[in-house]
Amino acid sequence: MDSITFSGVGKRYRKLWALRDVDAAFRPGEVVMVIGPNGSGKTTFIKCLLGLVRPTSGAIHVNGERIGADPAYRHHIGYMPQISQFPPALTIGQLLDMMRDVRGLSPERTDDGLVEDLGLSAQLGKRLGTLSGGTMQKVSAVLAFRSAPGILVMDEPTAGLDPLSARTVLGRAAAVRERGGTVLITSHLMEEVETLADRVAYLQDGTLRFLLPLREILARTGTDRLSAALPLMLADPR
Amino acid sequence: MTMGKVLYYTLVDLARNRSVLAFAALLFVVAEGLFLVEGEAVKAVLSLVQVVLALVPLVALVFTVVYTYGAQEFTQLLAVQPIGRSAILGGRMLALGLSFLVALLFGLGLPLTVHAPGATSLVLLVAAVLLAWVFLALGTLIALVNRDRARGVGTALAAWAGAVLVYDALLMTLLFAFSDRPVEPFVLPVAALNPIDLARIAVTIQVDLAAMMGYSGAVYKKFLGSGPGIATALAFMLLWVAWPTVLSFRVFRSKDL
Repeated sequence: MDSITFSGVGKRYRKLWALRDVDAAFRPGEVVMVIGPNGSGKTTFIKCLLGLVRPTSGAIHVNGERIGADPAYRHHIGYMPQISQFPPALTIGQLLDMMRDVRGLSPERTDDGLVEDLGLSAQLGKRLGTLSGGTMQKVSAVLAFRSAPGILVMDEPTAGLDPLSARTVLGRAAAVRERGGTVLITSHLMEEVETLADRVAYLQDGTLRFLLPLREILARTGTDRLSAALPLMLADPR
Repeated sequence: MTMGKVLYYTLVDLARNRSVLAFAALLFVVAEGLFLVEGEAVKAVLSLVQVVLALVPLVALVFTVVYTYGAQEFTQLLAVQPIGRSAILGGRMLALGLSFLVALLFGLGLPLTVHAPGATSLVLLVAAVLLAWVFLALGTLIALVNRDRARGVGTALAAWAGAVLVYDALLMTLLFAFSDRPVEPFVLPVAALNPIDLARIAVTIQVDLAAMMGYSGAVYKKFLGSGPGIATALAFMLLWVAWPTVLSFRVFRSKDL
């Protein structure tokens, strides 16, 4: 069964349609890279799935349930936003405790392996207001992974991270796939997309131009790089 | 359950914030100062009424608006957790309401109980708490409706100025324009349009000081009697807490974060 389905989802901000009639289905055990130019609707697409934004039209189902006012489906979702802001007066440790409490997770069921892997262990006492952008991203990553979610959503996860940390995070994302999770990642970096993606979704002006296996895209265009395949695909997506 | 958690963590954040504490301390110093300077406790209470009517709405309104905008990212972080929108907003409004209540009990209630225990002080305290809650609800609504922070703060200040300055001028103009007709019945509902005026009416009826009661206060007393007049004014204030709160929930439930 598909873990996430979008059926005719559209979102209008005043006069502008940020997302138009998107139909898509995502399966357990795959990584889907969502790419597209700036302002193509990637973030709106993710925000609709998370319930941060209410679609103007269409329906989204998560694990067979239509999402709406009931927030329970978000138990299954881990989310790492593009930019994170946390209450500045709290320390990293306090934030982690608080978010675990808010999510209703028991300490035993909380996987904080990333704290160690990203080198945050020594910084748990630091106040969030004093952190660099990269360290904030690491905290964000820890929050996204710790409940061992069946669905992982990441918006430009490696943007502010050093290369080593970026690899750690993406490795974790791959591990989520291995144990049958669905991973959605937006990214600008083609190499990143190529190493991880099972399928690639391309958004443009709020419309889903294609959602295809990476291998098929390369085979169809006769190229070995996504960056070379994209212009050919856009010229003839069929 | 989840609302309780939002309430708890917002209270922790507010305690760290110290602004509410500073407001309580300011009120306390002003109140103690007035009781020290004025020989008679009654005079001090009357001066305190003026301070409360001007200060409490402004502080509650501006603080709520600024806090709501400041909490935007945190709201987003909560909203992607398995927590409903109503629990997020309810927890935050309760936390703000509770901290205002504690600030007023300490900053205003304590000096009043020590220096001027009695019905007047009680009515003043109740009116002050209701005023804080009214402007908490209005501030929340204003911050939720206006995406732009500067516009939100501007709208809030305009609302406050409207209640303090424009409304009085308008009421006087109305009374003057219709001075040859019996306008008294209309004063009851018209006074209910301004929560600050309602607080003033409740307190001044209790003090029974014609000089401060003003026209609207006198009408309330004449038509309703002292006790019911106070009760009516306070009940109207509860309505002023209710409608912006209900609207805020409605807006927040479908708001794009």
